[in-house]
Amino acid sequence: MNDSNAAPVLELSGIDMHYGYVRALDSIDFHVGPGEVVGLLGDNGAGKSTLLKVMSGAHRATGGTVMVHGEKVEFDSPSDATEAGIQMVYQDLALVDALDIATNLNIGREILRKGIFGLLGFVDHKAQRKRSEAELDRLGVRTAAMTRPVEMLSGGQRQVVALARSATRVTGDRNGVLLLDEPTAALGYEQTQQVQALIRRMADQGIAIVLVTHNLALAMEVCDRLAVLNRGQKVADVATADTDNDEIVGWITGARPSMFV
Amino acid sequence: MRTASPTAADGAVAPGVSGATAPAVPAPSPQPSAAAPAKDSAGIRGMIFLRDRGIFVLWIALILAFAIWANPYFATLNNAVLIANAASISAIFAAGVAVGIICGALDLSIPGVAALSSCVAGWMLVNGLPIWLALATGIVLAAGVGLVNGLISLRGFNPIIVTIAMLSITSAIASIVAGGYTFPGLSMLDFMGTHRYLGVPAPVWICAGVFLVGTVFLTKTRDGIRLMAVGGSAEAVRRSGIHSDRYIVFAFIISSTCAGLGGLVTTAVVTEANPSASPALIFTALTAVALAGVSLAGGRGSLPRVLVGALVLATISNGLTIKGIQPYWATGVTGVLLIGSLTLERWVSKSVSKRLMATAQASVHTGTR
Repeated sequence: MNDSNAAPVLELSGIDMHYGYVRALDSIDFHVGPGEVVGLLGDNGAGKSTLLKVMSGAHRATGGTVMVHGEKVEFDSPSDATEAGIQMVYQDLALVDALDIATNLNIGREILRKGIFGLLGFVDHKAQRKRSEAELDRLGVRTAAMTRPVEMLSGGQRQVVALARSATRVTGDRNGVLLLDEPTAALGYEQTQQVQALIRRMADQGIAIVLVTHNLALAMEVCDRLAVLNRGQKVADVATADTDNDEIVGWITGARPSMFV
Repeated sequence: MRTASPTAADGAVAPGVSGATAPAVPAPSPQPSAAAPAKDSAGIRGMIFLRDRGIFVLWIALILAFAIWANPYFATLNNAVLIANAASISAIFAAGVAVGIICGALDLSIPGVAALSSCVAGWMLVNGLPIWLALATGIVLAAGVGLVNGLISLRGFNPIIVTIAMLSITSAIASIVAGGYTFPGLSMLDFMGTHRYLGVPAPVWICAGVFLVGTVFLTKTRDGIRLMAVGGSAEAVRRSGIHSDRYIVFAFIISSTCAGLGGLVTTAVVTEANPSASPALIFTALTAVALAGVSLAGGRGSLPRVLVGALVLATISNGLTIKGIQPYWATGVTGVLLIGSLTLERWVSKSVSKRLMATAQASVHTGTR
């Protein structure tokens, strides 16, 4: 399904993060390859969110290097990360409720009409709807009519729209990275299944995916590899196939010694 | 099981509702919500229609009621022109307020800006400067105030306080320009005041132009759509790599420009530039905007509805005047309507989200409960 030997899309090495005397992250190495889904696990306060924020450019690491496609990068803001092809999908989704699905998917990369109307900034709604339909079809998620306002969608459908919006922004000429923060936290069983399938399909298109979650069952099911953090240190990094639930729980709680000592 | 959805807070599925969605259960379709019963979705559609088009229904009902009650004086072409004329100026102000609110930039400096534009233009006209220059200066000045409003608000100051301060500042400058008096006798502005084109007074044409341009802008152009999106969720727009701040400043500029235009049209109608900023102006505009269902939270609203909102106010006051009822009754009726429309909006939003929650959870769970 993926080739973990392929050059990583995103690679972090020796990432330190200090808040005063508090070491939130202690020399973390982490990488994710194209088409790979890596689960980032850990208890509350283990440093998952901090690490995710370093990847998304929201935080600047105290030490260590971040490389995208083998090139060293410095993110000063989330928009730098976005430009490098890294998209974060937040728990709060940040969709515009009153606007329809197509507009939500196209904002920031609108298709303008041809000719004089285009020069005046007129948007080609029809072309936008068509493109969004094609994009959602490719991801295998046709949720509802493109003209339906987002506020009239169910929680699962919203999550799908939010994921699709990010996915369409990282599939350029080079494979991008999606950072997912608890994508199924607010969803019921069936919607979770749907989002899980979507994550796999996005990976199949070559997108590298980092998944932060508390939902161990989801992580075991959807991830190729699992990285476990405990008190700011990486204690495990294993292929999902080579481990089991109990081992992972042991690493998360700290009952099991680190793989790297 | 995790059910901590943000909208699920009050969304425990009522037994009756879950019963209605039961038919969706048996087939585990990959798109569960698509299998929601058609009846439910028709109900939601109906409620949304009521929320989005209710103002039109209300206006037509009012017209019919007055046409019968105030027969034969109300339902005449002449009276229609009167109502349109009465509504036009407040509608121009309302357009500015609406665009501001839709983008999350409530501008309370509007009366001051109107007074400033009108006094500066009045001063220039009295001093023999050309009409076009006076009007252009008035508009540009208003846009400038909007720019200042926007830039200050972006520094993290509360826009309401900032624009209240600007209300004081602009009206003070207007008074200084006018030297404490007014500029009377500005009959050269008649062409945009009481003059009629094709039987319709100039302010109605101007107002129609403002709403036409505004509506096309907000619904058809990239910047307009982004402006609405910023009001709905600035964060969503920011994450799409767009500078949402620029759009907020832009909304303040539009708001102020409408205020300036409104001030100039008022001046033309009364042929006098008056430096006193009337706060009543902003409240009438806000009433029209709120009647139109423009949510103060931003991101939602349509200009045609705002226009009808202004027309509703004008229709009520016109109809009651024809019947010889004191104007304060009109004020009272407006207040009642306003609370009524808020209640309706709240009720519709709540029931819609409740029903959507029901369909969202109409999956494996519903059958077992």
